[in-house]
Amino acid sequence: MLGEERKTEETTLSQPVSGRLANPDIRDEFGLETIDMNMGPQHPAMHGLLRLILELDGETVVRCDPVMGYLHRSKEKISENRMYPAVIPITDRIDYMNNMAMEYGYCLAVEKLLDVEIPPRADAIRALMNEFSRIMSHIPSLGFLLLELGAFTPILYAFRERERIQSIMEEVTGARMMFHYIRLGGVKADLPEGMPEKMWEYIEGLENRLQPDFIDLIEGNEIFIARTRGVGKMSPEKAVEMGLTGVPLRCTGVEFDVRKHYPYGWYKNLDFDVVTDDAGDVEASYRCRIGEVRQSIRMIKQILENLPGGEVMGDTGRRIRPAEGDGIARVESARGEYAVHVVSDGSDTPYRVHYRTPCTVNMQLLQEIVPGHYLPDIMPIMGLIDPVSGAWDK
Amino acid sequence: MAVTLPEGNLETRLSRYLDGFNNSHGIEDSLVEGDLVQVVVGPEDLPAVLTTARETLGILHLSFITVVDRQGSFELTYELLDLRGAQVRVKTTIEGDEPVIGSVTGIYPTANWHEREAYDMFGVAFRGHPDLRRLYMWQDHFDHHPLLKSFEISTRRTFEGLR
Repeated sequence: MLGEERKTEETTLSQPVSGRLANPDIRDEFGLETIDMNMGPQHPAMHGLLRLILELDGETVVRCDPVMGYLHRSKEKISENRMYPAVIPITDRIDYMNNMAMEYGYCLAVEKLLDVEIPPRADAIRALMNEFSRIMSHIPSLGFLLLELGAFTPILYAFRERERIQSIMEEVTGARMMFHYIRLGGVKADLPEGMPEKMWEYIEGLENRLQPDFIDLIEGNEIFIARTRGVGKMSPEKAVEMGLTGVPLRCTGVEFDVRKHYPYGWYKNLDFDVVTDDAGDVEASYRCRIGEVRQSIRMIKQILENLPGGEVMGDTGRRIRPAEGDGIARVESARGEYAVHVVSDGSDTPYRVHYRTPCTVNMQLLQEIVPGHYLPDIMPIMGLIDPVSGAWDK
Repeated sequence: MAVTLPEGNLETRLSRYLDGFNNSHGIEDSLVEGDLVQVVVGPEDLPAVLTTARETLGILHLSFITVVDRQGSFELTYELLDLRGAQVRVKTTIEGDEPVIGSVTGIYPTANWHEREAYDMFGVAFRGHPDLRRLYMWQDHFDHHPLLKSFEISTRRTFEGLR
């Protein structure tokens, strides 16, 4: 029933914005006008601190203007005033749902300027931890999406998985969230005794739980379909134009994954697919995320099967002084293309560090896509972007 | 798929990009290294160079814009990706303390927030930007551009002794 109702809505949604607004003549006749409304910065459903200035015509959004900066901690300025290794914990706190990718991007960028060889085992462990980190971010993001739609149970299952991965991460890195594990030249420590077996056991279990605990619970649910199908619909041209990366781009059907098309580290040796979907709406982003979790599981299994031996730390020397120049590296974080630009002047501290966080760029779609949607559709669209406050504000 | 992504092998694409820039613009310096094409252009040529990249060469993605305060001049890096393995880096330097450069939002709409961030952090004015407001800092009562080297932070650690 609900799904049927939405189908008629779908046709209206694809019409241009002006077609959905109240007829201007009628509006003038009855003296109706649009109203401005603030959503946030502190809003129970918001993914952090974000203020949206909305202009509403009835319940339809006419204009959406995101105001950011409520969690701006000036990461770039702090990075300029610290020695190279001391920046790594700062990067951890950019995207606190997917920290490993943040460390990895910075380390790769600095290593471009350093004369250091990364041991193969360190490379493999970096990729392994990155994939765990991706699962750790993707699964709760599904939970958040469902929570915003009013379903409380999936977030509990999602956080159960996140907690279990966090326990694995704690054994490996010593921390549950802010790992500081990937270092310049390698990783902090080797995997503890018996860890690969433990990881294998967990991954097998997750693969079995994915169907009953997530897919069966979400897919085919009438309310989920009604709230997500056709919501946030965008064309691939629009997505490329807006500079989207990650799941928001791939759910429109454009095949782009930094791991595949700009391979780095151990990903050159791995066999995996880029998950895409053609629908380009919130439901498609959910399917992409589940598909990516499956691909991550596949990658983790491949890494664990052929884990090379040897050292986990290359020789960087005691004092890290990269050569003068630009070090630019990009990695695929759970939210898209995360790039780091390090400018070195040959001293102990970076001259300039620029973080290209995927959230900041992906959030531009709020300006472009939200107008024409209903007010309650904003939350599923936020679920499509899956932004993290620390990452969009830096 | 409606989006046309480039095909062919990497080397031919890289040389095609470089030739494309060389044929239509005065390039100050260029470099091809690995999967990267780097060109250095004058600030007044920059929007035209990026138009060539987007329209003629079909490079679809603007990854980011980095501004570096060189104390007396500003170095801007525009990082473009063709989404299939090639990186194109366009660099330019603006002399002086009050940098002004043409906006590329008409060419790459994604540049909108990148330019707002550059304006916020460095005070780089982008000519022709539709909505040049600060991105992170307060909209009013705040006159500074925090990432300028002249903006000192109070708990600054310099590590002078180690140098």
